[in-house]
Amino acid sequence: MKQSQPPKLARALFEWYCGHAKVEDLVGDLDEKYYLYLESNSPFRAKLKYCRDVVSLLFSYAIRKRKREASTGSYSTSNFSLDMLQNYIKVAVRNLYQHKYFSTLNVFGLAVGMSVSLLLISMVSYIKTYDNFHVNRDNIYTIVTTRHEGIEESEYASAPIVLADKLKDYPEIKEVVRIQSGFNEEIKMQLGDIPLRGYYVEPNFFSVFTYNILRGDGGNALTKPNSVIITESAALKIFNSTDVVGKTLELKQGGLLEISALMKDHPINSHLKFEVLVSYSTLPAIQKSTNDQWTKYRNQYLYTLLVDGAKPSKLNDYLTNVSNLQYAQSAIKVDFATEHIDGITMGPDYNNAIGPKWDMLGVIVFGIVAALILLPACFNYTNLSIARALKRSKEIGLRKTMGGVKNQIFFQFITETVVITLIALAGAVLIFFIIRKEFQTMMVASSSLDLSLTPFTLLLFFAFAVGTGLVAGVFPALYFARLNPIQALKTKISGKGSAGMRIRKGLTVFQFALSFCFILSLVVFSRQYKYSLNFDFGFAKQNMVDLQLQGVKSELVKAEFANLSTVQTVSMSSSLLGLNYSETWIKNNEKDSTEVAQVFVDTQYIPNFGLQFLAGKNFPEEAWRHERFIIVNEEFLKAYKINSPAEAIGRTYNVEGKDLEIIGVLKNFHFATLRLPIGKFFFRMDPAQFAYANLKVSSKDAYTMFSQFEQTWKSVSPLRLEAQFFEEELNEGYKMYQVLLKMVGFLGLLAITISLLGMLGMVVYTSEGKIKEVSIRKVMGASTSSITYLLSKDYFKLMLWAIVLSIPLTVVFFDKFLTQLQYYSVQLTVWDVLLSSTFLLALGIATIASQTVKTANANPAETLKME
Amino acid sequence: MKTYLGEFEELVLLTIASLGEEAYGVSIQQDIETRCKRSISIGALHATIARLEEKGFLKSWLGGATQERGGRSKRFYEITPSGKKAVSESKSLRDELWNLSKIKLSAAK
Repeated sequence: MKQSQPPKLARALFEWYCGHAKVEDLVGDLDEKYYLYLESNSPFRAKLKYCRDVVSLLFSYAIRKRKREASTGSYSTSNFSLDMLQNYIKVAVRNLYQHKYFSTLNVFGLAVGMSVSLLLISMVSYIKTYDNFHVNRDNIYTIVTTRHEGIEESEYASAPIVLADKLKDYPEIKEVVRIQSGFNEEIKMQLGDIPLRGYYVEPNFFSVFTYNILRGDGGNALTKPNSVIITESAALKIFNSTDVVGKTLELKQGGLLEISALMKDHPINSHLKFEVLVSYSTLPAIQKSTNDQWTKYRNQYLYTLLVDGAKPSKLNDYLTNVSNLQYAQSAIKVDFATEHIDGITMGPDYNNAIGPKWDMLGVIVFGIVAALILLPACFNYTNLSIARALKRSKEIGLRKTMGGVKNQIFFQFITETVVITLIALAGAVLIFFIIRKEFQTMMVASSSLDLSLTPFTLLLFFAFAVGTGLVAGVFPALYFARLNPIQALKTKISGKGSAGMRIRKGLTVFQFALSFCFILSLVVFSRQYKYSLNFDFGFAKQNMVDLQLQGVKSELVKAEFANLSTVQTVSMSSSLLGLNYSETWIKNNEKDSTEVAQVFVDTQYIPNFGLQFLAGKNFPEEAWRHERFIIVNEEFLKAYKINSPAEAIGRTYNVEGKDLEIIGVLKNFHFATLRLPIGKFFFRMDPAQFAYANLKVSSKDAYTMFSQFEQTWKSVSPLRLEAQFFEEELNEGYKMYQVLLKMVGFLGLLAITISLLGMLGMVVYTSEGKIKEVSIRKVMGASTSSITYLLSKDYFKLMLWAIVLSIPLTVVFFDKFLTQLQYYSVQLTVWDVLLSSTFLLALGIATIASQTVKTANANPAETLKME
Repeated sequence: MKTYLGEFEELVLLTIASLGEEAYGVSIQQDIETRCKRSISIGALHATIARLEEKGFLKSWLGGATQERGGRSKRFYEITPSGKKAVSESKSLRDELWNLSKIKLSAAK
C-alpha cells in the first residue's frame, strides 16, 4: 500500500511564502505531525489537519521573524543606510547639473504643475483650521434642518429657535445657545452713520464658544436687554478708542444700546463673524417666540454644547422624535439633525448659513482641476526619464553588477525624483505667491481665507512635493530597477515595449486634448461674454440712468429731475428690466392659479424704453387712482392660448383679488436675465411700488451730469444719491464671464505650457538621438525641409489625434453646459474649433520646429566627425 | 520582576526544561497537549518560541538529518541561564504568594 503523502499544494504554498527564510525544521515538524496523526485518523482528516497547521504557521510571528532575519542577512536587500541616501542625492544633483537643459524643463514643468495644487492645499488646510480655537470644540454641535414641502426638499443651516426649549429637556446637553443673525444697524455719529453688524446671542454664548473678553464681565454682559459686547476693531471704528465700556450706541432706527464689555476681534477662522454681540433679550417679543416659529426659522441658529462623551447619534434620535411629534399635523415636514462645528464651514451645502461656506462639491471640482494640471506635469517627467534611460544605463548596469539589487535602484531613482520635485517646489511656491492674490479675489468669501504660509502649510507643501515625486518617479524607478545588467552595460536597451510606447503616446494625446479643451473654452466663453454684452434685449438700454428712489415720493423726483437740461424723459418702475422682477399669481378658478412675472411702471415707461406694441395702447393717464389695467407680452398670450394680440384686448384676469383688464400687448422682450427664457409677463401700474426712476439722458459729459444729479437729489433727500448707467448695471450681471475667462485662461496657460514643455523635451531627445541619421541623409542629398518634416511628423500626428478625439467631447459638453449657464447663448461653431485647433497647432509646430530645424540645419561634416 | 513572563511562555519554558535533550517542535507540542489536556496550534507555539528566543530565554540549534521526516532536521531548544532565572523568579513569586495566602489553598484539592 502506498503511504499517503502530505498535501503538496499546502507545502508549496508554505515554502513559497517563506521564501528565503530558513524553515526546514518547521516543514519537518509539519511532516512528522502529519504521519503521527495519520496513525489514528483517515488520510483525508490528516491532510486537513496539515493544511490547518500550515495556515496557523503562516500567520504566526515565528515566520515573520524568520523572514525578517533572512532579509537582513549578509546579502541584505532592504536595509537602509543614510550613507547610501547621501550618495543617491549626490548622484542626483550631479545628474541634474550635467543635463541642465532637461533638468530645467523638468523643474519648470513640475513647478507649474504643482502651483495650482499648492493653492488647493493652503486653502483646504486653512478651512480645516476653522473654529479650532474653541476650547469646547469637540462637543459643540449646531442643529441643521431639512424641510420637505411636497416633493421639494431644502436644507437649512438654521433651525427654529423654539426647538431650544425641547433641547433643554435633553439630559446630555449642557448648554443651548440661540443666535439670531439679523443685527444690521447704523450707529448715529456726529460725522455720519456707521454701519455695524452682528448677532443677537443669549448670555451663555461664552460658555459654549471661546472668545477673549478684554474689558468688562463677559459672563454677565448680555443678561440685560439693550446691552452689547463690542469688538476691538468696531470700537476703534466708532469711538477711536478701546475705553468704551459703559458708553452707549445710538441706533439710527431708534433705540440705545449700552456697551457692557469689550472683546478681542474674533480670529479670521471663526465661522461666526460679527462686530457686536447684542443681548438676546433686546429682540422684540414677537421675534423671540411665536407659534408659527416652527415653520419660520430664517437667520435663527441653535448651538448646543454636549456633555463629554455624549453621542450625537442619540441626540439625532431625540430630534427625530421631536420633529415627528411637532409636525404630525402640518403639511410641511421638517427634520432636524446635529452637525459638528468642524463640519460647518466645509460640508454639505446648506441654505442660510451663518458664516462663510465652501461646499464639498466645489472643493472636489477644484481638486480635479488641480490634478488635471499636476498629472500631465508628472507624466512629462516620467516620459522624459524613461526615454533618456540610455544615458543612465551604464551606471545602472554597473550598480547591479556590484551587487545593487532592485530595491536599491528603485529607491535611488525615487530619491532622484524627489530631489527634483523639491527644487520644483521652490518654483511652485514662487508661482503660488504670484497667483495667490488674484485667486483670492476670484473666490467667494475671500476675506474669510488667509492663505499666508505657516509652518504647517509649509510642511504640507513639503509632503506634497515628496508625494508628487513618488507619483512621477515610480514608473522610471520601476523601469530602471528591472533593467538587465548585461544589456544595460552593452547599452542595448530592449524592453522598450510597444505597449509602453502606446501608453506614452496616449498620455501625450491626452495632454494636448486637455490643452485644446482649455483653448476652446476660452474662445467660446469670450464669444459668449461679447454676445451677452451686445445682446438685443428688445428694449433701449443706451443713455438710460437708473436712480434709486430710496423712499422718496416718485412725483417729487419726477418733478425735480424732469426739469434738468440733460434729462429728456423720466419714467418710474419697481425693478430694472433685464435684471430682476417680482412675481404674482393669476387666479384662474377656485383652485388653479398661474405664476406671472410683473413689473410696476408708470405711463412714461413703455415709450421711454422703446417697447413695441402689437395691439392696444399704453396705460391711460387717468388710471392712477385704482389699478385697472395690465399690459402683457406675447408669451402671456401663448400661455392663455389667445391667438392674436387683438383678441386679447379687453380680457380680464383676477390678480390679487382685483380684476385687471388687458389694455395692450407688447412684443416679447427680455425682462429677465439671459439665463432664463422669456416667460409670461405683464406690466402693472401702482405708484406705491416704484423703486427706481429711469432717466433718459442726452448728455455726453457724464461727470457734470452726475454732479448735477447730486445737487438735485440733495433737495429731495438727505441720503446719498444712488444712480448708475442702466447699461453698465445690465452688463455687470455678466461679469462672471470675466472671472471665468480669467480662470480658464490661466489654467489653460498652465496646461498648454506643461504639454508644450513635455513635447519640447521629447523632440530635443529624439533629435539628439537621430543626429547621425540626419547627417547621413543630408550627405545623401536630403533637403532641410524634408528632414524637418521627417523629424516633426510624429508629433504633429499626435496633436492632430488629440484635436480629433477631443472635438466630440467638447461639442457634447458645450451643448449641455452653455445653455445651462445661460438660456440665450452662443452655439459652438466650426469656426471656434478651427480657431482653437489652429492656435494649438501653431504653438505646437513652433515648439517642434525650434528644435528640428536646428537639427536639420546642422552641418553633417561636424556631426559625423564627432565619432 | 524585570521581564514579564506569560502563562503560556512559562509553560513552554518549563516543558522544554523537562524534555531536556529531546525538546523540539513536535515533542514540545505533544507534551503540552497531553499534560495540560488542551490543544494548541503549531503557529502559536512557534510564535511563542520565537518571542522567548528574542528575549534570550531560549537558544536553539539544528540537529542532524532524520529518517522519519523526509530527511529534514529538527531544531532543538534549550533553556538559557537567563531563562532559568526568569522561571525561578516566577516560581519564587508564586511561592511567596502561596505562603502569604490567608485562605488555605491546599484545601482546594
